[in-house]
Amino acid sequence: MKQQTILEVKDLTKYFVVGRSIVSSGEVVKAVDGLSFDLFQGETLSFVGESGCGKSTTGRLVLRLIEATRGTVSYKGRDVAKLSGGELRKLRREMQIIFQDPWSSLNPRLTVGQIIGEGLRRNKELSQAERKRRVLEMMETVGLRPEQYGRHPHEFSGGQRQRLGIARALIVGPKLVVADEPLSALDVSVQAQVVNLLARLKREMGLSYLFISHDLAVVEHISDRIAVMYLGKLMELASKQAIYSGPRHPYTQALFSAAPTAEVGRPADRVILSGDVPSPLNPPPGCRFHTRCPHAQDDCRRLEPEFRPLESGHWVACHHPLARG
Amino acid sequence: MSVQQATLQSLKAGRRALWRQRLAENWRVFRGNLLGKIGLSLLVMFGLMAGLSYIPPLIDPMYHPMTGVDPLVVKSTGPSLTHWLGTDFMGRDILSQLLAGARVAFMVGVSAAFMSVVLGTAVGMTAGYLGKTTDTLLMRLADMIMVLPTLLVVLMLAALFGQLSIWMIVLMIALFRWPGVSRVIRAQTLSLKQRPFIDAARVAGASHTRIIFRHIMPNVLPLAFLYMTFRVTSAIVIEAGLAFLGFGDPGTVSWGMMLQWVWKTGHMFTAPYWLLPPGICISLITLSFYMLGRAMDEVLDPRLRDETQAG
Repeated sequence: MKQQTILEVKDLTKYFVVGRSIVSSGEVVKAVDGLSFDLFQGETLSFVGESGCGKSTTGRLVLRLIEATRGTVSYKGRDVAKLSGGELRKLRREMQIIFQDPWSSLNPRLTVGQIIGEGLRRNKELSQAERKRRVLEMMETVGLRPEQYGRHPHEFSGGQRQRLGIARALIVGPKLVVADEPLSALDVSVQAQVVNLLARLKREMGLSYLFISHDLAVVEHISDRIAVMYLGKLMELASKQAIYSGPRHPYTQALFSAAPTAEVGRPADRVILSGDVPSPLNPPPGCRFHTRCPHAQDDCRRLEPEFRPLESGHWVACHHPLARG
Repeated sequence: MSVQQATLQSLKAGRRALWRQRLAENWRVFRGNLLGKIGLSLLVMFGLMAGLSYIPPLIDPMYHPMTGVDPLVVKSTGPSLTHWLGTDFMGRDILSQLLAGARVAFMVGVSAAFMSVVLGTAVGMTAGYLGKTTDTLLMRLADMIMVLPTLLVVLMLAALFGQLSIWMIVLMIALFRWPGVSRVIRAQTLSLKQRPFIDAARVAGASHTRIIFRHIMPNVLPLAFLYMTFRVTSAIVIEAGLAFLGFGDPGTVSWGMMLQWVWKTGHMFTAPYWLLPPGICISLITLSFYMLGRAMDEVLDPRLRDETQAG
């Protein structure tokens, strides 16, 4: 099955300068460092990794909510960074984002109708009534009741607020949705409802998700492919089956073996990592993971491994990838 | 269609109910606050005084606060039946002057505060939202103005340009009192700018203007409103000071002006019926605006509310 690429990311890099003042030029945090990946039409690509590894920054870079230091993001062949303000606004009808925190991502002074309808405002052909009809329709789609149209966000529970955030993102009819940890602020029971909602909307509206999460159980449920990040770099990128059945990067193996499982009697083949994640202010030379890698060798400390395909569609950045299976 | 209209109807009704409910809630918090209750009662009283100030000149032209002179009185006299608070040195009725003074105090206080808050909010939001050089320039300008002693500067300007009209005084106060507001609004804007709902608005295609007016402004306005009540206090005090020192608008009867007349005609220690009412009124009206501000602080900031309840 040959899929159509809708998003092409090459060498995407974001450095933040911190602590800059008159006397010091500051230090550079390499939040995202040379990311390259494609996103196919209709798939869910999940980004996983520990907190602080650059997942959310990647999502924001893709939407150009922050400007990249280097590298390109092409949506359907157009370089997002080169668009003018007006073109960018137009493009954002096709690329949307669902935020992590359903409390701070909704303006407390606006009503539900105003929040969801915001994206339709730019569509001048729509009459007031038509706009309202669409908002009500979208509210029904995500499971909000029409009488909640005039309410304010503070009157809703976390799960309802996240539905509101989803409705706001989807009302403009996007093709690509960046979901930035949309579940992490919710209770587990509510998480399940929202995951199912996201999955249903994807089927119904033909969406592609760039799904950012640290919850591996959710990722396993929703993903087609999985990208593993560590300290601003991609470690491994492959289909869900490949990652779950046989990770090739030692970090992926360690990360997934750390996830709790409900299976009884499953062998405890855990890979325990020692030490902390090194500071992104001063990442280790060579392979970024070598300080904690159980298989690290001399070349890992000196040479930075290239992100390369081991086999079709299975990319790994490791000098000594694990054997299959 | 009729179902939809019914829905819209119920939506509107629901919204009204919500407003009522929120207003009632705020009112409940406000009423639980003793300072707020005192402040508001005093303000209602001063408001009544300002409203009543139109009545005495209608009863008899001699009760006109500025030009009305009782032909039977040639010097300052104490309270009597025709002049409840007495008369000043040329036979003008002190009560009607006091009532007119309330009107002037409200006018000066509210308009100067309103202007400085509008200016301060505009500057603060611009500086906070645009950041970088604009921010630095505007905030350094604010610093420069903030360190100027307002009363002294306005005094010097009044000395330079001769008598200032009351509106010039209001304008001066507004122009010198905005920096404090702009600092607070800027800080609030900086914090709001980082909230994800601003990103969400950008992704939804909102322009900068729309983000400022639709998403940031409604969230800083309560704070600006709060600052307005505090600014009213300082505006009234500055105007009273100017007038007392003889640099007020000679065509206006303000409480500061009344004090100046007492002092200038040498009645400071001989006519308490003339000296005390304007002095007490100035103190009480500034106090009441301040108390109202403190109470609104509590209504607007739930954290303060908890603190008071715990302590």
